[in-house]
Amino acid sequence: MVAPNSSPRLSAYGVRFSFSPPRGREPFILGNVSLELHPGQVATLLGANGSGKSTLMKLLSGLLTLEESWCEGLVRYQSEELYRLDSRVRARRVTYVGPDFSAEFPVTAFEAVLMGRSLQSRNWFRLSTNEDRDLVREAMEKCQCWDLRHRELHTLSGGERQRVAFARALAQGAKVILLDEALSRMDLHHQAAIGQLMRQLADQSAYTFLLVSHDLNVATEWADSAFVLHEGEIRAQGGLGTVIREDVLNMLYPGADLRVGESPTSGKPKVFFSNSRSV
Amino acid sequence: MRPLRLTSGLSAFVLSTLFWLGSFWVALRVGAVSDADFDLVLQLRLPRVILASAVGMGLSVAGATLQALFTNPLCEPYTLGISSGAALGAVIGSALGYDASYSGLAVPAFVGALLFAGVLSVISRRSTSSQLAVLLAGVMLGLLGSSLVAVWMAVSDAQGIQGALIWLMGSLSRARMEGSILSLFGVITLSLLLWRKWRELDAFLLGEEGALALGVSVQQVRTQMILLTSLLVGLCVSGAGMIGFIGLMIPHFVRRFSGSLHLTLLPLCAIWGATSLNLADSLARTAIAPYELPVGVVTALAGAPFFLSILLKRMGRVEG
Repeated sequence: MVAPNSSPRLSAYGVRFSFSPPRGREPFILGNVSLELHPGQVATLLGANGSGKSTLMKLLSGLLTLEESWCEGLVRYQSEELYRLDSRVRARRVTYVGPDFSAEFPVTAFEAVLMGRSLQSRNWFRLSTNEDRDLVREAMEKCQCWDLRHRELHTLSGGERQRVAFARALAQGAKVILLDEALSRMDLHHQAAIGQLMRQLADQSAYTFLLVSHDLNVATEWADSAFVLHEGEIRAQGGLGTVIREDVLNMLYPGADLRVGESPTSGKPKVFFSNSRSV
Repeated sequence: MRPLRLTSGLSAFVLSTLFWLGSFWVALRVGAVSDADFDLVLQLRLPRVILASAVGMGLSVAGATLQALFTNPLCEPYTLGISSGAALGAVIGSALGYDASYSGLAVPAFVGALLFAGVLSVISRRSTSSQLAVLLAGVMLGLLGSSLVAVWMAVSDAQGIQGALIWLMGSLSRARMEGSILSLFGVITLSLLLWRKWRELDAFLLGEEGALALGVSVQQVRTQMILLTSLLVGLCVSGAGMIGFIGLMIPHFVRRFSGSLHLTLLPLCAIWGATSLNLADSLARTAIAPYELPVGVVTALAGAPFFLSILLKRMGRVEG
């Protein structure tokens, strides 16, 4: 759960971003974004298509090349500026998992997860150690993909690849993991398994997750807080109960006519369509 | 495919080296008249065999690197036009009075290769350009470079358009002992420098975003790699002209038994590149004896259909 007094682990202050220098009245992709992520927090980021979610996710994971775009404001990991960190150090603290995980050439699942360790290795010629292999095994077992280790990535299904990608992020050792539609192709069994794993890592080992999912009911099941991004600005944030409201959702997704209910088992807010064919 | 363990990696390495030595023997023996004049043949042919090894090595290592760098299986120095930039540089260099013996021409060839590779990487950095667009741009750069070489040779060289053929189709006939040994050393050094970056090259296999998430400083590494491959291509082309498709075929062939990780891929590519260019050159010398085919013709005859087969396979994947 969110520890209210802890200092933020990953934060953004007054971030404005555009892929080219602003000319005239051309809108920013991100207008004025401030947010804080704390240890042990599982947050979800809501927003319509084109609201700037993916850009914000990449910006927060240090993936954008700021030299080629226009950016104002601060992105911090604890007290350090994220974009000033050496890229290897950054990768040990924050990492990003996208919707698709594939390789152009045949690479096995094990090799792909091992890449999470490899850039961190310090020994001569950077060969992987037994410790690295053990960490990879541990991560792959947690994500229930150890049995896929000898398969090549391109022979795996989308959901299987997403489990391998999650294992890669865990093996890398970053405590902040940003997931952009990274559970979208998993079947329900594995969605539940990875969701529980996220919750467990956050509660017991103070991991931080930021989750983008268009399936709001998946997002609300595992998250404890939410941010709403609309037209490049954070319009609402806080606990699920204060953000997952009908007025907020219908502002985000006009015409969808959404209703908010409650899960009978977990008590978490759940979202339904109300205009689906009713009797 | 299981990850290659150290022992099996080493045995693949040893086995491949034996093949390379075998190709040395073939290249020295094929076309020899009799045992009596073998000493003479050795004297004439040894520089050529060493040069073939160096160039084959350099081109395949450069090809494997470019394929990872642009995450595109159809990339190599020739299809991306970098070779033709190098040839243009070398031709202009020799007209400007650079030493036509070997190592002198490597410098302008490197400049030409770097220029073309730079243009290409600028094109590839535009967010809208697809893999295919980069490749097409490379092919066009290649055509442009080759045409300029032909024009330049027709205008400035005593041999005229005949001399251009050596640059455009590749030939190992100008090999001299010192130059050959020098370029072998150069190629090995540059390949070792690239090999040291095997982790970063692996990361590029996951795409640019994947590499960034793993902690690769993509821009910096890309610049280093382009510099090193341009040096490699400059060295190869200044010695033997443009020889295509070695850099395309060898990495694909080696991946079948070594997997895609560059720790094993790059050294095996080096050895098999050397082996295959030795064999291709032997074929070029003997196929229509007493005349000699340009070695680039032989590699293109094998390589162009190979290129098409990869292209068709990929199109099938995209549609399916």
